[in-house]
Amino acid sequence: MKTIRSMVLVSSDPVSMERGGQSVFDNLQAEIQKFGIQDEISITQVGDVGRHDALPVVIVYPEAVIYGPVLPENVAFLVEEHLYKGRVASDFQASQKELTGKIAWLNARKGTMPAEQRIVLERAGIIDPTNIEDYILHEGYQAIGKVLAEMTPKDVMDELKNSGLRGRGGAGFPTGLKWTFVAGAKGDKKYVICNADESEPGTFKDRLILEGDPHSIIEAMMIAAYAVGSDEGYLYIRGEYALAQERVKIAISQAREMGLLGKNIFGSDFSFDLHIHSGAGAYICGEETALLESIEGRRGEPRARPPYPTTSGLWGKPTLVNNVETLANVPAIIRNGAEWYKSFGTPSSPGTKVYTILGNVNVTGLIEVPMGITLREVLSIYAKGMKNDATFKMAQTGGSSGSIIPASLQDTPMDFDSFQKAGVALGSGALLICDDNNCVVDLAKVLQNFFRKESCSKCNPCRIGNERAFSILENISQGTGTMQDLDDLMLISKNLNELSNCGLGQTAGTPVHDILTHFRAEVEAHIKLKVCPTGVCQMSGIRI
Amino acid sequence: MYHLIIDDKEIEVPEGTTLLNAARIAGIEIPTLCDHPALEPYGGCRLCLVDIEGARTLQPACTLPASNNMVVHTQTKKVKDARKFVLSMLFSERNHFCPYCQVSGGDCELQNSAYAEDMTHWPLQPNWHPFEVDASHPYFVLDHNRCILCRRCVRACAELVGNYTLGMEERGSKTILVADLGVPLGSSSCISCGVCVQICPTGALIDRWSAYRGHETDIQKTDTICIGCSLGCGIDVLTRNNSLVRIEGDWDADINGGVLCEVGRFLPMADKRQKIVTPLIRKDGSLKAATWDEAMSVVYRKLQPMIGHNEDGVAAIASTRLPVETLDLFKQIFSDKFGSKMVTSTEEGYYTAGLDRSGNKLTHQEGLKAIGKSDLILTIGVDLTNDHQVAGFFVKRSIEKGTKVIPVYTEKTGMDALTPYATLIREGSEFNFVQALSAKLNGEAYEEKLIKSGVPASKLDKIADMLKQAENAMIIYGSEFSAKNKAEVVQAIVQLAKNYHVNYVNFKGKANSFAASELGLENIFAVNNHQVAYLALGDEEPSQLLIQRVEDVPFLVVQASYHSAITAKADVVLPVTNWLEQDGHYISADGIVQKAVHALQPSVDVRSNQAVLENLAAGLQLEINQEWLQSILQSTTAIEVQPA
Amino acid sequence: MTIEGVFNIEIQEAVDKAILLHGESRSELIPILNDVNRALGYLPAEALEEISHRLKSPRSSLFSVASFYHMLSTKPRGKHVIQFCESAPCHVAGGREVWQTLRNLVSLEDGETSTDGKWSLITTSCLGLCGVGPVIVIDEDAYGNVKPDQIADILAKYTD
Repeated sequence: MKTIRSMVLVSSDPVSMERGGQSVFDNLQAEIQKFGIQDEISITQVGDVGRHDALPVVIVYPEAVIYGPVLPENVAFLVEEHLYKGRVASDFQASQKELTGKIAWLNARKGTMPAEQRIVLERAGIIDPTNIEDYILHEGYQAIGKVLAEMTPKDVMDELKNSGLRGRGGAGFPTGLKWTFVAGAKGDKKYVICNADESEPGTFKDRLILEGDPHSIIEAMMIAAYAVGSDEGYLYIRGEYALAQERVKIAISQAREMGLLGKNIFGSDFSFDLHIHSGAGAYICGEETALLESIEGRRGEPRARPPYPTTSGLWGKPTLVNNVETLANVPAIIRNGAEWYKSFGTPSSPGTKVYTILGNVNVTGLIEVPMGITLREVLSIYAKGMKNDATFKMAQTGGSSGSIIPASLQDTPMDFDSFQKAGVALGSGALLICDDNNCVVDLAKVLQNFFRKESCSKCNPCRIGNERAFSILENISQGTGTMQDLDDLMLISKNLNELSNCGLGQTAGTPVHDILTHFRAEVEAHIKLKVCPTGVCQMSGIRI
Repeated sequence: MYHLIIDDKEIEVPEGTTLLNAARIAGIEIPTLCDHPALEPYGGCRLCLVDIEGARTLQPACTLPASNNMVVHTQTKKVKDARKFVLSMLFSERNHFCPYCQVSGGDCELQNSAYAEDMTHWPLQPNWHPFEVDASHPYFVLDHNRCILCRRCVRACAELVGNYTLGMEERGSKTILVADLGVPLGSSSCISCGVCVQICPTGALIDRWSAYRGHETDIQKTDTICIGCSLGCGIDVLTRNNSLVRIEGDWDADINGGVLCEVGRFLPMADKRQKIVTPLIRKDGSLKAATWDEAMSVVYRKLQPMIGHNEDGVAAIASTRLPVETLDLFKQIFSDKFGSKMVTSTEEGYYTAGLDRSGNKLTHQEGLKAIGKSDLILTIGVDLTNDHQVAGFFVKRSIEKGTKVIPVYTEKTGMDALTPYATLIREGSEFNFVQALSAKLNGEAYEEKLIKSGVPASKLDKIADMLKQAENAMIIYGSEFSAKNKAEVVQAIVQLAKNYHVNYVNFKGKANSFAASELGLENIFAVNNHQVAYLALGDEEPSQLLIQRVEDVPFLVVQASYHSAITAKADVVLPVTNWLEQDGHYISADGIVQKAVHALQPSVDVRSNQAVLENLAAGLQLEINQEWLQSILQSTTAIEVQPA
Repeated sequence: MTIEGVFNIEIQEAVDKAILLHGESRSELIPILNDVNRALGYLPAEALEEISHRLKSPRSSLFSVASFYHMLSTKPRGKHVIQFCESAPCHVAGGREVWQTLRNLVSLEDGETSTDGKWSLITTSCLGLCGVGPVIVIDEDAYGNVKPDQIADILAKYTD
């Protein structure tokens, strides 16, 4: 079997061509042949990649190293150094400004790894996201065609229930079941909302899906709307994701032009249209009721539940809210069937999961792998080990509110149920890997700082608890903490979880709780010895 | 009905009842801070968390609907611990040093909650960061240091008053209460209704009179009504040692549901007029203190000969702030017994023109809440942001719920900022406007009528469309019509309303303008050849016009509570009680009879308006009756007596 | 025309354009605020007044919303806005040292604007560019894998 180890993209826009881009490409092919690695490396010409300051550029994945401007005579050296010997030829790297705008989505390529199974990122980075025909050529809009021609709403929901698909936003609620709630709710008007307020630090999978394959989400929302009986949908996209918004906007207008959105789609009784709603910089709006408040033009303060959005959501109407990654699974499930889908992942968590690998590892980026893979596998196979051969100390799974897991837990399979049993949150799929140069108090402080700023302030435990926890951690990091502080932190963490109104507050105390559970000695050293074992904390509060 | 068990008590509650209310039905108090019965449940403070069997975590009682067979515990260790945690968090957030804080005088719900949980100290270090105090408002002070961010004030300003002055700035731990775009309260869009002050659970919003003035326990509370306008809002008057501490809206009052405006809450507090404490008689050109006997004998002597003089005897005018029984007595004496043809009230028919006796009224059970049930409200001849403000609050707050509000007025009003349908009409063109609207609704030509009003045809079309589509429309009219023939305007409005099955109500005048009108006290006041003018002013401030009119009268008797330009000209001044010192009945604009009771004792030499007139009748040996209610009820179809 | 006059025209145009695009509806408030903020760099009181007037939406609601969302600013910002991602992934990847250096170079603390009006320094939560953390965004330009010794060069690009 042929295994692609690296992928090389060469810019071929007019400016690049003028500057010898074709020769660069030809030389690359020749040099790769010369080293006999042509079976391990794919080489492609791509259009405008946005780095107008460094054309022609050569981008090597999975490392996402950008070389440019590359002259035909540099190619031999590049191939030998990077593709053959595996060393980044830093002399030829493009200057620091990078990954803005147009080429950001190409990061999806970083995950093209041997054992990956792609469902939600199947097309991202392969098709032209601004071209609806390209999507259609890649099985696009087949699923909605099948749904409208052959399936009743109940069939759709049954298929989804059978597939075992669970929400990828963090909570892991069975998607098919959620759909039946909305379908069964009383109301002549219903809404379908795609939650693309991907604010969880360390997570950018939804961005890549929206930037690389926007039509798949439109198609999924159409299927959802058909199933639950809705004719109007919203895509709530983070304000920071300008390119994703642009791509989705283009996709919606193309779909409208083709009659895929609008009245009586494909001549059926089904009508559906979509709006984009931009966020404006608030983590809490990823919480579904805060998101609804935001669409209605208010502060993103989560509502009291019940009533749940499935019965009383946007403007008080039954509303389905699904995460981007969840929806991205839907067309594939409809096309290939529930059984096909269940062949991936674990019995309780079928399918794939997109993870973002971050932190002190050799390769950071995005992978889509079957559910149930372990952290150790991720670390050694995809992340290619710790950077600078440092020691793995801990990982945080699932973003800011995720669990901190010590090295001892790295063989737990990463799926909803196994993680739940281990008391760990799978969350959004962010995997922040930390080596032993990181201080747990410092990390906890950074996380608590995040929550005290992102709390909506509606409920007391969250608004005040996060602030108090932060100030306690700050004291500890300055050497002025007390042992009583640790009890207070545990109390705050526990009560945040039990007394807060929404998921943000309920999970905000997780990291500090985990750190005090797994790394208590290190925290106590800050208090009892006035020493930060890793040397990170400045201990500025100590007076000698 | 749902059956549930709270702390071993079995109760049945209707579907949709929150757990908090279910507990109240069962006689179980659950502590709350952000919740208030007048507001929508919020679920922010988390003090009301309760333990529900089968639930993973504690649940807020204020927002959670009771469900069938629920088993709830409100006193478990888990619940008590949660309450303590929530309180300890609040105490650590800002400056809540109870032992030193006498701001609210024991009326602080945060403090009381802490006592209820036996808290003796702050479990967590308090935050020492001071916040600024906003003392820019003339009536109250905003002290952020005492604020617990419960949003009761913000919600009250929006949900109850519809004024939306207050909001929250920032988020997370930086969150702070603000007005408008972050301006001081004193220069904000605040209309000084003070509902936020009344609803604040701590000492963050405090009025300038009652804060730091001793403990709530030695305060007397009198349940009465406001006589600031003709709505008859229910109020509680708080007094200590016979002095006014503050006035609050009565949350249980049907008419206003606890809401009050500046006129009712703060103007009486800010009243700086000087009270008259003894009768005065003019001697040698200046007013000298006298006894009641001396003063009354002068009055008897002067008035006795006037009995039977229809045209040139006594010209008498009474304030419409006086109780019905007093107005009735006033009428019996001067109209029936003296036979004078110049007996009237201070509104002098100004409001009578805007009265329609067949008009619909708001029932006392529903009070002003009936306004909120309308899907369209058209107001004309009244600016409810200036006059009868509490009714205006009910109109404004309905906008958020989808009611279309169309204020038709000759100038911009406070409503304009909230509704896109504000309609400016030309001075004197109310009749034309109503006529044009009727014509449009009837499908007749209307352009000519409309031109005079200055309203564009497209706007009228829109209004007519909305009226047609409305299922439960209401017209609220006042009597500030700029048109000359006010009666004609009212007729046109009533006709339109009847034709299109639109409810209509009429707010106007002072507390007893309706009663005065029913009693026929509605002439234009004029002193012609009259030898005596008798002014029963009560606590009303005389108008400039009235002062001019009595300029040349040979003999002037004034019964009044306060010194004024008119008492300075009087020959005899009889000191009488103000509204807080007397009992008596009032008939609201839509015909509800309510009793006001005194909250303060008058000074020794001050008598009630009623007593003075009774003395007068007795001294002149005039026979009078007390059948005022009967006589009023006979004269109208639109009166409803508030049950005791 | 005075500078103030020019500014008022700018505000009027920005508000008009945003409302024309999104419609005169309160549910479009956040998109409208987003557009106006982008056009003017922040949301001046005059703009909020105008939007309040047009949408019949109370000033306090607008201000509450505008101050809640961190992409919106109710205070003027510098010519160039430096956003530094302070989320954990960037922090772990070396963000702490970058932040120290950045703060020292522009002599500003979080949320401050330099007296000459050139720079505003704000911390932000994750921008979704964590694959290349630490990340600094200046205006619309994102810089990834930033090392402390590169910051001076990056800042030097902004000469105006």
